[in-house]
This record gives sequence, structure tokens and C-alpha cells, in this order.
Amino acid sequence: MKLVNINKSYGSFQASKDISFEVPQGSLTALLGPSGSGKTTILRMIAGLEQPDSGDIIIGGKRVNDVPASQRGIGFVFQNYALFRYMTVFDNVAFGLKVQKKDKKYIRSRVMETLDLVGLSGLEKRYPSQLSGGQRQRIAFARAIAPSPELLLLDEPFAAIDAKVRSELRTWLKETITKLGITSIFVTHDQDEAIEVADKLIVTNNGRIEQIGTPLEVYQNPKTAFTAKFFGSTSEVLHYEDFDTFDRIDDYDHAYVRPEFIKVTREDEKQKYAHSAVEGTVEQTFFRGDNIELHIRVGENLLIGSRSLFEPQALRGETVKLFISKLFVTRGNEVIPLENLSMREDPLVI
Amino acid sequence: MASAGKTRSRSKSVIPGFGLTMGITVTLLCLVVLIPLCSLVIYTAKLSFSDFWATVTDPRVLASYKVSILTSLYAALVNSVMGLILAWTLTKFEFPGKRFLDGILELPFALPTAVAGITLTHLNVRDGWFGALFAKAGIDVAYTKFGITIALIFVGIPFVVRSVQPVLEKMDPEYEEAAEILGASRSRYFFKVLLPELFPALFSGFTMAFARGLGEYGSVVFIAGNTPYETEIAPLLIMSKLQSFDYPSATAIALVMLLFAFLILLINSVVQNRASNIVRGRS
Amino acid sequence: MKNRSRFVRGLLIALSFLFLVVMLVVPLIFVFATAFQDGWKPFATTVSDYYAKRSIALTLIVTVITVAFNTVFGLCAAWLLTRFQFRGKRVLSALIELPLTISPVIAGLIFLLTFGRRSILYPLLERANLDIIFAVPGIVLATIFVTFPFISREIIPVLNAEGTDEEEAAALMGASGSTIFWKITFPKIKWALLYGIVLCSARAMGEFGAVSVISGHLMGKTTTMPLYIEILYQGYDFTGAFAMSAILVVLAVIILILRNIIERKGGKESL
Repeated sequence: MKLVNINKSYGSFQASKDISFEVPQGSLTALLGPSGSGKTTILRMIAGLEQPDSGDIIIGGKRVNDVPASQRGIGFVFQNYALFRYMTVFDNVAFGLKVQKKDKKYIRSRVMETLDLVGLSGLEKRYPSQLSGGQRQRIAFARAIAPSPELLLLDEPFAAIDAKVRSELRTWLKETITKLGITSIFVTHDQDEAIEVADKLIVTNNGRIEQIGTPLEVYQNPKTAFTAKFFGSTSEVLHYEDFDTFDRIDDYDHAYVRPEFIKVTREDEKQKYAHSAVEGTVEQTFFRGDNIELHIRVGENLLIGSRSLFEPQALRGETVKLFISKLFVTRGNEVIPLENLSMREDPLVI
Repeated sequence: MASAGKTRSRSKSVIPGFGLTMGITVTLLCLVVLIPLCSLVIYTAKLSFSDFWATVTDPRVLASYKVSILTSLYAALVNSVMGLILAWTLTKFEFPGKRFLDGILELPFALPTAVAGITLTHLNVRDGWFGALFAKAGIDVAYTKFGITIALIFVGIPFVVRSVQPVLEKMDPEYEEAAEILGASRSRYFFKVLLPELFPALFSGFTMAFARGLGEYGSVVFIAGNTPYETEIAPLLIMSKLQSFDYPSATAIALVMLLFAFLILLINSVVQNRASNIVRGRS
Repeated sequence: MKNRSRFVRGLLIALSFLFLVVMLVVPLIFVFATAFQDGWKPFATTVSDYYAKRSIALTLIVTVITVAFNTVFGLCAAWLLTRFQFRGKRVLSALIELPLTISPVIAGLIFLLTFGRRSILYPLLERANLDIIFAVPGIVLATIFVTFPFISREIIPVLNAEGTDEEEAAALMGASGSTIFWKITFPKIKWALLYGIVLCSARAMGEFGAVSVISGHLMGKTTTMPLYIEILYQGYDFTGAFAMSAILVVLAVIILILRNIIERKGGKESL
């Protein structure tokens, strides 16, 4: 599956600007971006629900721009599932097969097989309104894969499901897709979801692709300012040159820091790079389940850091020390990772 | 390139049937609405302006406009007040007979206007069931403007109720509770909170009842008595011009009525737009 | 405070009952009271009269044709306006709604101008020996005109609220237009469609102004029931007029009951 220089506008609004990317056979790719970034438009163009103004869509080595949606060999899972409300689960899953005029016996066995795969055997006589959100999601998935498509597209597959079921479904979806080996692309605005589920991320913003790579690459080595800011609870650092042992780079006028780059120590604890640590006051604390998030005031800056649950708690109003190990500094949409100079000196000391 | 041009004129949809439904819709629309309206335009273009002006400023014609507009206005106002009360009663209270009231409300849409016309006339003549009561008070109903207004109230009942009711149903009870907690009195709540909220729906119901009243013929013609200058409504005047084959005059009178109806609808759409802009946060 | 709001509540309910009973219920009773004031016989005589039967038959024919025509139109227009984006969409939907704002008398007038003696089309119609004005086709056309948007405007909000996802999903899997319509869309709109048909029938059988202009009142040929009632009434046959009216009142009540059933059924299913 490949897109080459795709452009698409709605009136004066340009939804896709020069989009090109390739998805390898059998991979699970996430189109990630904030709402309005154009990711759903890309998905709908691949499916054939929208037509690009220019550019090529290539599936299995063939240009499919002029191939009707129904002939592209695509399975599509809609955000709100679009289950046929007046049909039973069986008829929903069988629909694509019936349209292809497959014989009755085959349809029956294929539907049962698919329902078994999604773990919902026995529900075939129910109507969509009698299912829970998670079950509907699985039926929508079953309906999409029953005709054995070459490419599976999922539009915000977890958006309409409550938090607890969502994390179960993520794991399930990843396992099932891997088991089937079907090339899949899903759209999401949730970075955690994308990182957890996908083999590969395509980060979009304002109709453009910001970065393509594995979740780890994109997270650790952001190539654009947008990507650097988009992941994690990033906070902005004003006047980063005032912080100890960061050199200013000309024209790179903004700096961003992720919580994992900040080492927070209480007064009675030892800070490894004590000489380049700054003092701050804890303004607010948030219990985040696996850690405690701290909003710390350092002069004009309000930085987001965290401490593990197993460390003694930093309390509101307490003065703490912070050591920033790394910053992303940006100029426009360009980004450079900047390491704290004292860390470079460190090996010399040893 | 040609296909690119095509896709730009409409966004290509995977759902089939565009050509077919477009073809049928436009053909039938032309046949039933556009061609007849065009012939009205063509016919009007043939009228000389001086004749047109002479017709529509004829005192009898002007009097008929006045009768039509005034009676429709009174009826629409009565229906706005009663419609608000009915909508309120039907959405906020539970009482025996509620389903019956709600069901019968749309009788004016279901009952042929001619039947309504002769029935209301017979009820309101001097020895009719209602007419006798009014006669005791020295009021004539049938064959007066009062009678016309009653007929127009009858045909206009469902409009205001049916446009206000859904808004009241959707309105969050928290709204009323919020006003109460803030210490608003009942009347203050009604005038400052509720009425502005209902106004667009109320106005739209009023407009529809008013426009319907202006064009109404069947239910009015029997009760009106049709005395020129007194109880002759504009649609009736058009009808009598047509019966004497005076098509130019009929067309001229009709045109002014049409323009007036469009004007009312235009005002309504401006009001509705302003209201929805406020709600959506555009000014 | 409690007492006062109780009082207001009682007052509003009483006012509502009074208004609707006086304006709607009493007239209904009055029609029957007058039609049957001298017993069954005059009613039976009026209704079994040749011209009465003809008018009933004509009204039925006009209603059936109108409903069939507007159903086809309503379904097509609703599909077009809710499933596709195209230029001129707003103009189209405004034109479809236009007949609602036009007085029935003026509706009759424009058909008179289109097909009447002074129209440019008249020589053509004459040559084809086609009577439209003062004949059944004219009555049907005028009735279609006044009820034109009745069915589409019931279906359009339902289709808009449903969105196009289900249809897109079916189309993606390769379903044909007719499969999509009958399997996916029709079940969703059947109550709205039925509701529109009921409203359209009610108006079609009762249309008076537009039909009156274009019918020519030819007894037994172009007199629909409402026109026949007018003729009886103007001939001072009040019992006869109310007897015919009674039939229409019964139909109107049936329509109201149907309307309520449909609304309840449709409302339940959308939950």
C-alpha cells in the first residue's frame, strides 16, 4: 500500500498536502494526529470514500484511484461502527459475503469462523442494539474482515469505548491483527494508543505528514517541533539559556522538556548533578496511577515532572531540586535535542 | 484532467443513485413547480405596469388585503399565546386526557378545510350553538371579521404548538433549577430566561400560522360572508376575478400576495439565523 | 408557593381543554349532529346519490395518484438531498419547500395560466386533444402541487440524523444501490415515510382552494368531495353537506389515530 503526493481540498481548506508514505505488507500502522489534522481524510481516500484532487493511491502494486471503493479489497471499521441496525449480528457479518454472491454454506461457515475469531460465537441472533460497546466494536471488526480483505482500515477504533474496555480491546486488536497477518492502518488522536498498538507511526498535523517511524524512533528522536511537543506531558521552558549548563543555539528560541528528562529530588535527597540543578516549588501534585505528576514553579516556568510511587512524596509547597538532562529546542518546525553539558563532563570526572 | 474537473463539481460519493435521484427529482420538480411558476412570471411580464398598478391599488383590492392581513395577524397572535400555553401544558404536566389533547391537536391538518368552513359557519350563525351565545351579548360572529379570525385560528392551531413543543421537551430541567437557585422569581424566569429561549420557535410558528392564514380559502370563504370592503379576503377576490375570466387582475392580486408571503418568510429566516448565530457563538 | 403553582397548573390545563374542546371537539360533534339530525335516512339518501358516489370515487383516485407520485418524488429527493453534496443543493431544497408557502388559490391560478386558454402550451394541448384544465389531470396536478414536499420533508430529517455511515459501509462491501436502499435505508425511514403518506393523503383528499380554481365544478366529472360539499351547501342542502362532511370527518379521525400510532411506533424504534 502506497500513497504518492496526495493532495485534497474542501473548498479553500486544504485537508491533505503532498502526502506520501508506504505501508509494508502485514504491518500495523497508526495515522496519529490531533483532530482536524487530516488523518481521517487520508484513510477515507485510501478506502475510496473520498477522491484525492491529485496524486496516486497504490494498493498491491496497482493504481486504484479509479477503482470503485467496493473493488479495492478493503475492510473498513467505522468510528461509530455503522453496524446495520435492522440486521442481526449474523446478517451484519454475512453482508459482504452475500453481496459477493458466495454460496450459503460457505457464508455460514465463514461467519461462524469469524465470530469465533472475535470471541463472540453464540451472539449471531442478537441485534446491534443488544450488544455492549466492546461487542459492537468486535462485530464491526468481524464484518470488515469476513470477506478476507487485503487491507484493513480502522477509523478511531477505540474512540467510542470507555477507558477500561479500551485497553483490553487494544491488546486484543493487536493480537488478532498479528494473527491474521493482514495489513492494517488505523487512525487515532491518542498517542498512548498509537504507541502501544502500532508497529509504525505516521504523525500528521495540518494536513501534512510530520514524521514516519517506529513508535520508539518517533518518541525518542522527534524530527519536527510538532512531534517533539505532541508526545508525553511536554512543558515549555522559557529562556532555556538561563538554566544551568545549556548553551543557547542561535535562532532556536523555544525549548520543550518531557517529564522523564527532569530528575526531581527533595532537599534531603542527593542529586547527582547538584551543581547544575535548579530550585523550584511544587505547586500541584496529581496521582497518575503509576507515578505522581508534579507541577513545579521555577521562576517564570511551570515545569511538569514526576516521581515514582515508591519514592517519598514531594508535597505541595515544598522546595525541590530539578535537574534537566535534555531539552528539545526548536526553530519554526525544526528541532534539535540538546543535552545538559554537565552530563558530558561527567565521564571525565570518572 | 476532465475527470478531475468532474469530481470537483460534486464530491464523488461511494453511495450510488446520484444520477437517478437527481434526474427524477429535477424532472418532477420542473413539471410540478418550476414550469407553472415560470408561466406565472411569463404571464406577469405581459401585464402592463399601469394596469397592474391600477388593479392592486383599487380600493376594493386594498380593502381585501387589509382584511386578509389583519384577520391573519389577530389569529396568529391568539394562536401564539394559546400555542405557548398548550405546548407548556402538554410537555410539563401529566393529567388524564393528555394523550387525547395531544392527538386531536392536529385535527386542522387532517380535516378538509371546506368541512371546517361550513361547520364553523353553522356553529356561529345567530341561531348556531356558539352564535346564539354571542348574539345574547349583541355580537355577530358569522359573516364578520370576527368570524374570519375564528376560522383562521382553527386552521392555525397546530403550527405554534408543534414548533414550540420540541424545544420545551429538549430544554434541560437544570435550566429552570439554575434560575431558581440564582433566586429568579417565576415571572422573571418566564420573561428573562424562558421566553428568549423559546422565541425563535415561537416566532417561526407564528410566521407559519400567519402565512397560512393569508392564503387560506376553504375554511374562510363560508364564514366570511364576502361583503366587498368588509369581509372579502384577498384569495376570494382572486377567485371571483378568475370566475369572471379576468386573469390579469387575478394574477396581479396574486403577485402582491406572493411577495408579501415571501417577505414574511424572509423576516423569519433572518430571525432564525440571528438566533442560531447567538447560540453558536457567532455574532 | 406550592399552592400557587398548583393553581397555575390547574388553570393552564383547564384553559387548554377549554380551547381545544371549543375549537376542535365541538365542531366534530356538530358535523355528526347535523348530518344525523333527522336520522339515518337523509344521510343514506345523500351518500348513495349518483353524484355523491362519483365525487367519492374521484377523491379516492386523486388521493391515490397524488400519494403515489409524491412518494416516488419524496424518496428520490430525500436520498438526493441527504446522501450527496452538490452545487445548487440549497436552491433545490428551497424550491421543493416552496409550494408550502403558496396560497392554494394561487396554486390553482398558476396551473390555470400554464395550461389554460391563454397559455403558450394551449395549442399543443389542443392538438394532442388533452384536457387538463377543468378536467381530472388538472385536479391531480394542483393536488400534487399543494402536497409536494409533504413526504420528502418527513424523511429528510430522519436520514440526516442517521448519517451515511451504514450506507457507506454497505457500498464499500460492494452492495448495489437497490440492496443498500431496501436492506439498509428503508427500514430506518419506513415510519417517517408512512407518516408522510398519511399527512399527504389527508391534505390530498381535503384540498379545496386549488382544486376549486381548476376544476370548473362539472357535476359528476370534476367535483371532488369537498367541492361537492360546497355545491350542496350553496344549494341550501345543509343536511346533505354535513352528511358528506361526516364521511370526511371519519377519515380525518382515522388519519389522526394512524398518525398517533405511527408516531409511537417510530418513536419506540428509534430508541
